[in-house]
Amino acid sequence: MGNVVFQHVYKHYKGEPNPAVNDFHLEVADGEFLVMVGPSGCGKSTTLRMLAGLEDVSKGNIYIDGKFTNYVSPKDRDIAMVFQNYALYPNLSVYENMALGLQLRKVAKHEVELRVSRAAKMLEISHLLTKRPAQLSGGQKQRVALGRALVREPKAFLMDEPLSNLDAKLRAQTRAEIIKIHSQLQTTFVYVTHDQTEAMTMGTRIVVMRDGRIQQVAAPQILYDEPSNKFVASFIGSPQMNFIDGIIASHEDGFYFENRRLRLPLPKAYARHLQGMSQGLPNSRRQVVLGLRPEHVLCDADALQAEPYGEWQVQVTVAMKEPMGSDTYIHTDLGGTAIVSRADAHIPVRIGDTIKLVLRMDKVHLFERESGESLLLRGASV
Amino acid sequence: MTQLPPPKLSQLSRTLELFRSFQKPLFLRLSKLKRVSISKSLLIVCFIGLAFFMLLPIIFLFNNAFKPMNELFLFPPTIWVKEPTMRNFEQLFLHAGAAVVPFTRYLFNSVFVVFLSLVVVILVSTMAGYVLSKHRFHFKGLILSMIMLSLMFAPETVAIPRYLIVSSLGITNTYLAHILPFIASPVAVFLMKQFIDQIPDALIEAAKLDGANDLYIFTRIMIPLAAPAVATISIITFQAVYLDIEGSTLYTTKETMKTIGFYVSSLTINLQNSVAGQSMAAAAALLMFIPNLIMFLLFQRKMIQTMLHSGVK
Ligand SMILES: Nc1ncnc2c1ncn2[C@@H]1O[C@H](COP(=O)(O)OP(=O)(O)O)[C@@H](O)[C@H]1O
Ligand SMILES: [Mg+2]
Repeated sequence: MGNVVFQHVYKHYKGEPNPAVNDFHLEVADGEFLVMVGPSGCGKSTTLRMLAGLEDVSKGNIYIDGKFTNYVSPKDRDIAMVFQNYALYPNLSVYENMALGLQLRKVAKHEVELRVSRAAKMLEISHLLTKRPAQLSGGQKQRVALGRALVREPKAFLMDEPLSNLDAKLRAQTRAEIIKIHSQLQTTFVYVTHDQTEAMTMGTRIVVMRDGRIQQVAAPQILYDEPSNKFVASFIGSPQMNFIDGIIASHEDGFYFENRRLRLPLPKAYARHLQGMSQGLPNSRRQVVLGLRPEHVLCDADALQAEPYGEWQVQVTVAMKEPMGSDTYIHTDLGGTAIVSRADAHIPVRIGDTIKLVLRMDKVHLFERESGESLLLRGASV
Repeated sequence: MTQLPPPKLSQLSRTLELFRSFQKPLFLRLSKLKRVSISKSLLIVCFIGLAFFMLLPIIFLFNNAFKPMNELFLFPPTIWVKEPTMRNFEQLFLHAGAAVVPFTRYLFNSVFVVFLSLVVVILVSTMAGYVLSKHRFHFKGLILSMIMLSLMFAPETVAIPRYLIVSSLGITNTYLAHILPFIASPVAVFLMKQFIDQIPDALIEAAKLDGANDLYIFTRIMIPLAAPAVATISIITFQAVYLDIEGSTLYTTKETMKTIGFYVSSLTINLQNSVAGQSMAAAAALLMFIPNLIMFLLFQRKMIQTMLHSGVK
């Protein structure tokens, strides 16, 4: 029981020219795992802290569970928060750390014991209950911090980069743990991270933020397949999407993506989004950035032979190989533009080779050069 | 007081580590010594020498108190006592017993004043330090810079305004006159603020979400974490109040309201020239010093922690 509503929320810090959070407008459904992702300094923590009541809201309204919450004090919001640096009380034992929130809320003693031992069992920290935080490893500390939130049984869990201080292996482990906890509890989670992998793997919905503004809100796969602007496209996905500058040209036989070195026909299906684009407009108004994911840049023999890909071939030189085990990232140079291809692990190319690539124009994204907005989604959203 | 750059800090803590290892049993120490390099052992020798040099006045003080008259007046003066005697103490107690105000009255005044000052200074500085460090409010910057500013005044320069304040409050010849000037301690507030600064905000925020109010956060989370800083402040305040004679000379005229620090210093001043005065002064100096020493030994470890944390040398 805990949906969260942000209505045009702003945060102005004193002495800062730009708002840290700018018109944040979003509804988080009950039981949802919402991830806020974005580069550092984009206002994720500030948003979360406003929801927690640790930061005043400058403008706009926040509702938790239907209740207007702007002026409710943190302790009365019935939410629990997990911090990046654990924030365990160093002078209390693990048990006391977990129990404090309940004791302060005057929960009966046997109930406290029950909830703490249940959470401890769930997180496999039962054997640590008498220890002090200083005696624990980073991973154990973060589990205790999770446990402290769990025992509260709050309306919503807020987590601010809880895994950032852990090493890679532990991070993956704890990530799985949190996903498991969410599926068991079915409570609302609002999770902040700067790591797109974390966002993609954990969220049922993802909010991408930049400079205090929401860029896109969507389920992970949609975010990946249909980024609404160039920033989202570049932020989500690893290795990053390839970007090539050019213009849209219209010829008798359809639309083309062109620049000084390339002239690639665009599939007919794109025509409807590009109609307004190229009828008699000057070149400057037709400037676009073409975006293409590395897995849609092909360099294997089959693809080069394939019939429909014939006109999408380009010649490049191999600049670097990045073997990942399962596959290899081939970094190539297309007349000054870097193009990365995700290729088979055993592909026989060497650095310095001149090879042919297929740029799958049926998978491209097109963004307006200036605004960065997606041309293909523009039609869809209107 | 200067800011210590991080690399130097770690060096300092390594040196401290080195010293700490000397508290281990002898055989452990020796086995450890074998492994240290030449430059390190040179450093150790240097530090031992330095430590001994710093210890000299204390050794001298202890020896002096037990020296018979003839040794006290030896020239050049010696450090070690040859024929220890308790005569100096006997004389001191005889003299004190014959005084108008009994010795115990001075002692009581001192204990009372020191105790009350300690309690109030700790209370005020921890609360002020907490609020200045972790709360946002108007004129915080101004208040902080005023505290910094007041750190820069030599105590002599404020003696007259302080006297004017004490006398206009009408508290001369009361215990309050001894205590009040020490309560407003910028050093204590500053130290406390510096120490609390490095306690992460997230800890307080977590407690807020757990349902703790400000008082709970302050008493149950801040104070336990700030214990080393409290120890430091206790030592500083104890020494300042215990050795203070300004309160007794300026703010009190009644002999019954004066403290033991004043009594001892008056002994040494008044009786400086007399032969008996020298011996009594030697004994009194030791007696005055012992509580100081005890305080320091009790809190020294915590105090070093504070100094390392707050970046204050
Ligand atoms: N207490 C503060 N005072 C002033 N500016 C702040 C404060 N906290 C954060 N900011 C600014 O607000 C912006 C967003 O910060 P934050 O929400 O912490 O970003 P994120 O968590 O996404 O990295 C940053 O530019 C940061 O400098
Ligand atoms: Mg942050």
